[in-house]
Amino acid sequence: MEDLLKPDYGVMVLTICNFLLLVYLLKRFAWKGLIGALERREAQIQTDVEQAASNRQEAETLKRELDEKLAQISLEASKKMNEAVQLGQAQSAALLTQAQEQAKRLLEETKAQLKAEKEQALADVRKEIVNTAIMATQKVLQENISTATADQVVTRVLAEIKAKKYE
Amino acid sequence: MDVAEIISHHILDHDWGISVGGFRLPVTTHSVTIFAVSVVLFGILFWISRPRVSRSGRLLTTLAESYISFIRDSLVIPNMGAEGRGFLPYFCTLFLFILSINLAGMIPEMKTATSNISVTAALAICSGGVILYSGLKYHGLGGFLKGFIPSGTPGWLVPLIFPLEVVSTVIKVCVLAIRLFANMLSGHMVLLCLLLIIFIVGKMHIAAGIGAFLPAMVLEIFMTCLELLVAFLQAYVFTLLTAIFAGSVIHTH
Repeated sequence: MEDLLKPDYGVMVLTICNFLLLVYLLKRFAWKGLIGALERREAQIQTDVEQAASNRQEAETLKRELDEKLAQISLEASKKMNEAVQLGQAQSAALLTQAQEQAKRLLEETKAQLKAEKEQALADVRKEIVNTAIMATQKVLQENISTATADQVVTRVLAEIKAKKYE
Repeated sequence: MDVAEIISHHILDHDWGISVGGFRLPVTTHSVTIFAVSVVLFGILFWISRPRVSRSGRLLTTLAESYISFIRDSLVIPNMGAEGRGFLPYFCTLFLFILSINLAGMIPEMKTATSNISVTAALAICSGGVILYSGLKYHGLGGFLKGFIPSGTPGWLVPLIFPLEVVSTVIKVCVLAIRLFANMLSGHMVLLCLLLIIFIVGKMHIAAGIGAFLPAMVLEIFMTCLELLVAFLQAYVFTLLTAIFAGSVIHTH
């Protein structure tokens, strides 16, 4: 059993050579490729994560800008709508006033026209009366009739005028 | 054959007696086991590291990369810092090598070579070399030697402290070898003793031997499971301590 603690230098040297050769061969033919692939993948993941963070930041900035623009557009639209409503109201009021004035003017013109036509009609009537009176006088004078007859003629002529006037 | 002989037969290394020109070659059961494990390990890892497209091939590559990540992120970087990256292939090989040799003893007709002090001493010498190399690489000879003197040590104490610190470092490396050797040897001795209980008791009386069979086998299975755990644990401890010692000479205080 004392052999347990007795070192065998041959085995020791052989183990050292074996192990160091294995380290070299594995480093050269196995670990190099595996570690390289692992580090490349990690670098890729790191780049992707950074890219994703950058994209997220960009997207957030863009969203903020768009939100601000949207708010500004909404404000402008609201402002323009108010302006349009006010303009519409003003135009409507102006049109109403204009229409009222036009109606008033038309009414006055119509009234003036009616008055003129009425005066013209009265002038025509007067002229007709004079003509009729002259015609009646001529007839009285031509037939040389009595006073009673003359009265009857005048009355008849007046009745005719009256009748003519209200036709 | 007495108990001591049986244990010796199962535990001790056996020289195959091959010599060339009168010079004895160290061809023993343990050295052959180590060589066989190295060949298998190299073959498997070489095969895994080839570029593959099949799903199972990718799975193995992923497994190998997870293993590298584990060694790098749990053992090397925390203890040696970024400077340890260059030593990553050594630590990856060291852990797998020790683990494979520890587990090789579970295969019939093979022996656990780490229950041989010569083998563990060889591994400790390699680790000592790595510790020495990392110290010299990052601090130079002067800086490395200066690292053996703790800061604030009075001048008159230096001649006393310096040899003590050097011996302490050498002892740490030696302890690596002894720890692994003792743990693996004791595990195998316990397993062997449990099996021998059946025969020793059976030699006294056949019925007692049969009666001892069941409890001894239960204990044997339990100890085998424990031995598996110890195989992993000792490989981890050896690698971890090597990284810690190497880190301590890189980052001296």
